[in-house]
Amino acid sequence: MTELRFMGIRPPGVEDVAVPGRLVVVESTDGVGRSTQVRLLKEWLEDQGYAVLDTGLRRSDLAGPGIERAKEGHTLDPITLNLFYATDFWDRLERQILPALRAGMVVIADRYVFSLIARAVVRGVELDWLENLYAFAVVPDCVIYLDVDVQNLLSRILRSSGFDYWESGQDYLRGQDLYHNFVRYQEMLLAEFRQLAGRYGFQVVDARGSIADTFRSMRQIIQGVVRTMGSDEGAVPIAQPSVAQASERLGREKPAEGS
Amino acid sequence: MDEDPKLPGRLLIVEGVDGSGKSTQLDLLSKWLVSQGYVVVFSEWNSSPIVKSTTRRGKKRRLLSPVSFSLIHAADFADRIYAQILPALQAGAVVVADRYVYTAFARDAVRGLDGTWLRKLYSFAVKPTLAFYFDVPLTEAVRRITDGRPSFKYYEAGLDLDLNPDPEESFRIYQGLIQAEYEKLVDEFGLVRMDATENLIRQQQRMRELVRPHLPGVMRFDGGGVSQVLQEEGLLGRYLQQQGKPTRTLP
Repeated sequence: MTELRFMGIRPPGVEDVAVPGRLVVVESTDGVGRSTQVRLLKEWLEDQGYAVLDTGLRRSDLAGPGIERAKEGHTLDPITLNLFYATDFWDRLERQILPALRAGMVVIADRYVFSLIARAVVRGVELDWLENLYAFAVVPDCVIYLDVDVQNLLSRILRSSGFDYWESGQDYLRGQDLYHNFVRYQEMLLAEFRQLAGRYGFQVVDARGSIADTFRSMRQIIQGVVRTMGSDEGAVPIAQPSVAQASERLGREKPAEGS
Repeated sequence: MDEDPKLPGRLLIVEGVDGSGKSTQLDLLSKWLVSQGYVVVFSEWNSSPIVKSTTRRGKKRRLLSPVSFSLIHAADFADRIYAQILPALQAGAVVVADRYVYTAFARDAVRGLDGTWLRKLYSFAVKPTLAFYFDVPLTEAVRRITDGRPSFKYYEAGLDLDLNPDPEESFRIYQGLIQAEYEKLVDEFGLVRMDATENLIRQQQRMRELVRPHLPGVMRFDGGGVSQVLQEEGLLGRYLQQQGKPTRTLP
């Protein structure tokens, strides 16, 4: 069991003192290959016999569709957008992440409140207000930060999807010059992530190398986090019905069978 | 929440439990303001075009917990502040709002949220020029609402709080809890207490008396109305009600 701690305040209606599951957060700017790594980690953990829930921003039943719609219009100020994201975050925390942690699963969060905070601070929102907004976030068992530099990021972006409107800060930077806006925005964002890394004790992984190297570094960190799970009192082996029920409730895939 | 001295507009808001008559009085006030030539912008709780469909989805499917209930209403409010209320105040209009942050402070406190957290969450709000609290005995408010109301909605009756399985009884208890929170806010934020049991005309007179001193220097529209041109030019305004594309004059 690990103690269930919150970043600021314990939210109303959550009574648990400790949970058998673990919460692993993976943070980075976009285009680093974070989602690929999350998928690899999920497979690896399941092969090891851990039941895994992966979750990411905008995937809540409540606010996911609304945020997608709102972003199409490019019209939201950063305060409204963050309140919308906070709604999405809380809905997933309460109805996906916490039930999975109670059931003894490993939750891998593909981005967490830190991405939201970094992006908002760059857009001029006060850190103090943001930390209050996300006070109900569960303190993760570990936060892995995939660190890159802008040069490395550029080569990755150009090989894949190209420059994205939001990831180039086009919503608030002046001018139509996508390349310069991208560089400027990402430099500010990366600087903010490094600030947060110190403030919240991220485990920094150099993600400039190969996918395999990054994967092995991440695996090593996560091994340390999940190692004690089997010996936890109250830990739930994956074959037990409670996990199946939890998975069903979450509307996600069933736990890997026979592993 | 600070009063911004640089904002030339005025912000007038009404608060109170359901059935306190606040919307009726605000409607009368804004009609009077318009008749006096002021530019009036109306803002209503839960009306952001971008956020309200999510709130509706949450209520309909009963997805909202105390925290998400609070956050989605804050998102709606923030969108109205930045897209509607602030620009209007910057331009010098009179903004009238049916419910404001105090509704969130009262309802969310009843749902167990921390008062300090809530005040910080809403720190981007503009301090109103005048905030009216319509004070009404609970039995009277409940009677006004329940008369001719066949059923209550889930969150409206506070059924998410497990106060009582009977919707009407739950509504009664919920409104009582909200009213107790409002009482604390009256002193903290200096809300103007209105006796909502008083004669409607007297209530409106009092509101206008309190608002009047705040009006000098506010933007007015002095272009003259349609009625003026009709009167002066002897026109009937035959086609003014017409919607859509223009039609040809019949031979």
